[in-house]
Amino acid sequence: MMTKKNYIIAMPLTIIFVVFFFPFFWIISSAFKSPQEIIQKNSTIIPKSFTFEHFNKILFSSDFLIYLKNSLIVSFVSMLIAVFLSILAAYGLHKLKFYGNKLVERGLLITYAFPGVILLIPMYLMLGKMGLLNSYFALILINVTFSTPFAVWMLKAFFKTIPIDIEEAAMIDGASRLTVLFKIIFPLALPGIASVSIFCFIISWTEYMFASIMISGDDLKTLPVGLAGIVGQYQIDWGFLLAGATLASLPVIILFVFVGKYFVSGLTDGAVKS
Amino acid sequence: MNLQNKEGWLYVMPLLFWLAFAICVPLYIAVELSFFDIKIIGTEGKFVGLKNYIKSLKSSKFPRALSNSALWVIANAITQTFFAFLIALTLNKNFKGVKIATNWIILSFIIPTVVIVVIWKLMLSSSSGIINSLLIQFSIIEKPIGFFSNSTSAFVSLVLINSWRWSPFLALIILSGLKSINQEIYDASKIDGTSFFSEFIYITLPQLKGVLFVLGLVGTLLSFNVFDIIWLITKGGPSNATTTLPLLIYETAFTKFRISQAAALSVITSLILLTFSIVFIKVMGKDNDD
Repeated sequence: MMTKKNYIIAMPLTIIFVVFFFPFFWIISSAFKSPQEIIQKNSTIIPKSFTFEHFNKILFSSDFLIYLKNSLIVSFVSMLIAVFLSILAAYGLHKLKFYGNKLVERGLLITYAFPGVILLIPMYLMLGKMGLLNSYFALILINVTFSTPFAVWMLKAFFKTIPIDIEEAAMIDGASRLTVLFKIIFPLALPGIASVSIFCFIISWTEYMFASIMISGDDLKTLPVGLAGIVGQYQIDWGFLLAGATLASLPVIILFVFVGKYFVSGLTDGAVKS
Repeated sequence: MNLQNKEGWLYVMPLLFWLAFAICVPLYIAVELSFFDIKIIGTEGKFVGLKNYIKSLKSSKFPRALSNSALWVIANAITQTFFAFLIALTLNKNFKGVKIATNWIILSFIIPTVVIVVIWKLMLSSSSGIINSLLIQFSIIEKPIGFFSNSTSAFVSLVLINSWRWSPFLALIILSGLKSINQEIYDASKIDGTSFFSEFIYITLPQLKGVLFVLGLVGTLLSFNVFDIIWLITKGGPSNATTTLPLLIYETAFTKFRISQAAALSVITSLILLTFSIVFIKVMGKDNDD
């Protein structure tokens, strides 16, 4: 028999499950349906007609793989730069308390909430003058800018848990600060660095607005821009689009399988420990 | 003040240089642009003073976009607060699989926004969407609803879609706040026989004040900034019902090709957000010390 206590959890849990997970299931399942089954009036939950035709089409007769390559390069390089800059900054801010550190910390959080659209126009102009439009650099510049402020904030919680004694002991032994940072602090903060890395990767992986304006060449487009191109067509080829959406989500999902739990704890620890 | 700690600046400098180059330089260019009459990017224009500002404030589009933005932020705040607390309070209970659920609830936040657009365009499609199909099967409606073709339903749908994306993320932050509340406070209230709702209002909420303050400020600014989801689903339509300020700026610059006017709108928008932030911090942050 169901007790009252179980019921209290079961109801919201069912709502949450249906609202937040079912859409994924339905979209992935639909990507395997025949074009007729996708657009038929009575939607099916499990595909009646099971086909790989959409996946074949998107992988072997579209620019998908080029977009995938671009997205991977841009996201990976952005992540490396963002993580490197954030580690240095978080270390400086939270381990070496210097005059004005509070001001810098607040300034960084404001940047995080800064409307990207305001930067879009002048950034386009600036990069245009420098001849950097239509380049990976344009996208990396933006992605690093929008991921580092929050990354520094996330790292704070991790750096705070590392006792200062360890550092001081190493310094007495004659190690320089940079050595201490990369040889001692870095390994200890690895879970934090993992979660910050995923965060930076995701920010870059999902970025659409800047990529849609800065990149005009087909050979440099990222996945979101490529997919948005299909969404905008008058007659949407749903099967094609669903297969593309499934494949575009796959890399972050795979990444998440391995390091998801660090990500979730890293994301939330900063809020409480700050 | 320890002088040696000036070393801290050395570590922060690389990031600050990067951000100065990517934010301060463009901001300066935007302010400069707003005083000229440049239409298409790359062309020259002459100095026109405040003309772009006056034109922006006088046009009928600006107040409409401003009120859409205000409505957007408020509607999102209400919806996301509801879902975020529903998720956070549920995940704060002990049940089998709570760890997996907590890790994966954020799925809607980690996938590209374009994928979210694809999901909900198909879910809510009038010809083949599962929502319409279910509503008809249960005889709630007779004919499929065109969710994005009517002003009100388009706006509401977009708010729900955007909340679908952000609520799990906010829920996790609230959840970590919940976990840090001392359990003894709850135990004491149980002895006094407090109901669920009074427990929530008198114990949980006040304990979460710090977290809610950050979420209130950053969350408001983040929902104000939403662009992709609205642009890719409705392009601001039908008849400008979903044109918020970010969309108006984008449209003015890149479909109407009035760069200087868009720059003026950007400056006005920044000032509005700045004012909001200062007022919010002054009013709500009074008893919130770091």
